Amino acid sequence: MLLKSVDHIFWLGRYLERLDDTARLVNATSHLLIDSHQDTQFSWPILLQVLGQTSVASHLTATAIGPEVAKVEQEVMHHLISDPQSSLSIRYTCTALKYNARTCRPLIPRDMFEELNSLELHLQQQCSANLSRQQRYQLMSEISRRCQMVVGVLDGTMLRSEAFDLFNIGRHLERADMTTRIMDVMVLKQLQPTQIKRPKFRWTSILNALGGVESYQYYVAHQAADVDAIDYLLTYADFPRSIAYCLNRVAASARGLPHAGAILQQVKQLQALIEDKALPDLSTEQLHQLIDHIQTGITALHQVICNPSVQFNTEQQISA
Amino acid sequence: MHHQQFLPGGYERTPDCFDELVAENGCARAPAAAIAKFIEKHGPMELKRRQSQLDQTISTMGVCFTLYNEGQNIDRAWPLDVMPRTIPYSEWRKTSAGLTQRLTALNLFIDDLYHDQRILKAGVVPAELVLESKNFLAPCQGKSPRFGVWANICGTDLVRDEHGQFLVLEDNLRVPSGVSYMLENRTVMKRVFPELFADSTIVPVDDYPYQLWKMLASLSPRPGDVPCIVVLTPGIFNSAYFEHSYLAQQMGVDLVENSDLFVTEQGVFLKTLHGAKRVDVIYRRVDDIFLDPLVFRKDSVLGVPGLFQAWADGLVSIANAPGSGVADDKVIYAYVPQIIEYYLGEKPLIDNVETYLCSEPAARGYVLANLDKLVVKPANESGGYGILIGPRSTEQERADMAKAIVENPRNFIAQPTLKLSTAPTLCDGFLEPRHLDLRPFILQGAELYCSTGGLSRVALRKGSLVVNSSQGGGSKDTWIINDEV
Repeated sequence: MLLKSVDHIFWLGRYLERLDDTARLVNATSHLLIDSHQDTQFSWPILLQVLGQTSVASHLTATAIGPEVAKVEQEVMHHLISDPQSSLSIRYTCTALKYNARTCRPLIPRDMFEELNSLELHLQQQCSANLSRQQRYQLMSEISRRCQMVVGVLDGTMLRSEAFDLFNIGRHLERADMTTRIMDVMVLKQLQPTQIKRPKFRWTSILNALGGVESYQYYVAHQAADVDAIDYLLTYADFPRSIAYCLNRVAASARGLPHAGAILQQVKQLQALIEDKALPDLSTEQLHQLIDHIQTGITALHQVICNPSVQFNTEQQISA
Repeated sequence: MHHQQFLPGGYERTPDCFDELVAENGCARAPAAAIAKFIEKHGPMELKRRQSQLDQTISTMGVCFTLYNEGQNIDRAWPLDVMPRTIPYSEWRKTSAGLTQRLTALNLFIDDLYHDQRILKAGVVPAELVLESKNFLAPCQGKSPRFGVWANICGTDLVRDEHGQFLVLEDNLRVPSGVSYMLENRTVMKRVFPELFADSTIVPVDDYPYQLWKMLASLSPRPGDVPCIVVLTPGIFNSAYFEHSYLAQQMGVDLVENSDLFVTEQGVFLKTLHGAKRVDVIYRRVDDIFLDPLVFRKDSVLGVPGLFQAWADGLVSIANAPGSGVADDKVIYAYVPQIIEYYLGEKPLIDNVETYLCSEPAARGYVLANLDKLVVKPANESGGYGILIGPRSTEQERADMAKAIVENPRNFIAQPTLKLSTAPTLCDGFLEPRHLDLRPFILQGAELYCSTGGLSRVALRKGSLVVNSSQGGGSKDTWIINDEV
C-alpha cells in the first residue's frame, strides 16, 4: 500500500463512523429533550459542546430560554446537519468522506464506492435547514442505516489487507473519541471537580446516546461488583461502544501493520489508564483527569497510526 | 426477413447522412432489430423512463468527469444516451484489423524517427515536418522501448461518411482517455436493459482492463518477476481522474502521483508503507513535459527527477513512451496512408479523411479560398478546441482563422465538412438523429489488441458535429452484435 494512502483510508473509516455517531447522537438527544426527561439538565447546545464547538454552544445556551428554544434547536441542527461550512455538520463530514473515497478509490471495492456515492447524493439532497423533528428523525435513522450498509458491504467484499485494517482502526478510534466526548460533556461537565468520592452514574441519557441502555442492564445484572455507567463505558469490553472494546479492536487490526509495535505500545498505555484505576473510588476531579488523559492518548494514537516511520534511501535519490 | 419500421411513428433521418440504426427505408438495420422490437413492444415512452433510471444509476455509480470553469473544478455526471449504437461484428472484425494495422505502422514510424529516419531519407514524409515539430523530442533519439513499441495505448477516432464507410479522423497517441466510460456505459446499460442483453448477442467489452494489464506487464524490464505496475495521475483535480482511479482499481494496481515516486541509479521506486518498492512499468496519464523536470521543463517543479534517464537506461518502462506524440499530429496524420505502405507494404484497411496541409502553398490557397466549406483544425490541440467549422462560422471567425493560417501555416490542416453519420438519440423525450463518432482503444505490447467497439460520442445539439464531453457532447454504449453465429 502507498504510504500516503495510510492517512486517506484511516480518515475514510473515521469520517464514516463520525457520520453514524453524529446521527445517533442527534436522535438520542432529541428523544431525551422532547421527553423532558427527569434526569436531564441539558438543552440543545449540549450537542455542539459534545462535538467540540464550544463557542457557538455557549452563545446559544445563553439565549436558550422560553420561546427562543425552538429557534435554538433549529440553529443547533443547522450547525450539526445542513451547514456545509460547519466542520461538524453531517453534510461537511459526508463531503470529506466522499473526497477520501475518491483519493483511495483503487483500495476500496466497487460496491462500497457505490454505497458511499448513494449516501452522499442522498444527504446532499436531504440535509436542508428546515427539517421537521419527524423528518429529522427519519433522516438520522437513514444515515445510520446507510453507514451500517457501507460497513456491511465492505465486510463482505473487501480484501483483508492493510487498507482494511486501517479503515477499521479509523472507525474504532473515532468511536472511542466520541464516547469520551459524550462522557466528558454529558457527565463530567455537569459536575464540579471535587476531592470527594464521585457519585454513581446511571444516566439513561448518555447510554441512550450510545445505544446502550439494554446492554447496560445486562451488564449491571451480571457484575459481581458495584458498578455504574462510567465503569460500563470505559471498561466493559463486550459493549461495542466502550473504550475497552474500541482499543481491543484497534490493537487487533494493527497487528498486521509494519508499525504495529508503535501502535500497540500506545494502545497499551491507554488500556493501562482504564485498567489501573479503581474506578469506583475516584473523586470527580480524578475522573475529569482520567477522561482528559484518555482524550490526549487518543490524539497521540492517531498520530502514531498516521505517521509510520518508513525509511527511504533518499540520500541516493536523484533530485531536481 | 420481417422488416419493421424502426419507430412506429416514423423517424426522421438527417438527409444525406448514414444512420447507424435506421436504413434508408426507415426500417431497423439488422443489428438494431432487437431494439426496434423493444420499442414496438414497450412504446417510446418506456425509453424516457429507462433514461431516468439510467441517469440515476450513473449518479449512484459515481461515473463523472471534471470540467474546468473559471478556475473551478466541477464534477459532472457522465452523459449517456439510452439508445445504444449498433455495429455488426462482421464489419467490426475488418475495422479492428485496420486499427491494429495502423498502430503497428505508427509504432514502426516512431521507432524509425528516433533511430535511422529511413522514411525521412526516402522522402516519404518531409523531414522538416518531423524535425521541426515540438512533438519530436530530441532526448528520445537512439532509445529503444521494449518491442520497439512507443505508443502502447492508442485511441483512434473513427467517423462514418455518408456512404457508411469508416474513416480515421485522428490518432490519439499521447494519453488518450475515454475507455473507462466505454466500460461503465456497458455496466449501466446491462442494469437498465437486462432484457435486451438476454435477447441479442452483444459481444462483451469487459476484458479491456485485463488486456491492458497484460500488455503493461509485457513491458516489464524484469521479465519473470511479478511486475510492479502503477498508474501515474496528475491528481484528483485532473479532468480524467475518474478514469485514472477506475483503471487502477480494475487492474488492481496502485494509483500514484509524482510525489509517490523517486528515482535512484537502481531504478524507480514507490513509497509504500513497507518502504521503497521497485517500479517496473508506469502507465502514465501525464503529458511528456511533466514527466521529468531534469529533461523537459527545467522551470517546472512537476514531474519525477531522473525518471527520463531511468527509462532511457531501460530500468523502467513508460507507456506511452516519452516522445510518442510525434506521430500524434494532424499534419503527420495526412501521411499515415503512405506510412502504412512504406513500413508494411500494405494498403490501409481504413482510409483517412481527405486533408489539406496549410504548409503546402497550393493546398493553403485552396483552404483560404474555401474557409466557408472546410473544417480547419490546429495541428496540436485536443478536446475540440480551436476548430473552425466553416459552414457554421461567422465572417469574423473566418477572417481570424485566415490570419492565423498565414502567420503559422504548419500549425493548421483543413478537411471537408463531413457528413458524419447519425444515430437515434433521446432528446427531450423524442428520438432524433444526432451525429456521432467512435473511439476504439488499441493496445500494443508483446501482442496487439483492439477493444470490442469503443466509446461512441454523440453531439447532443441538433446538427452539431462537436462530440467532446467538455463541449456538450454525450455518449452511447456501442454494441458489437455478433452476426456470424
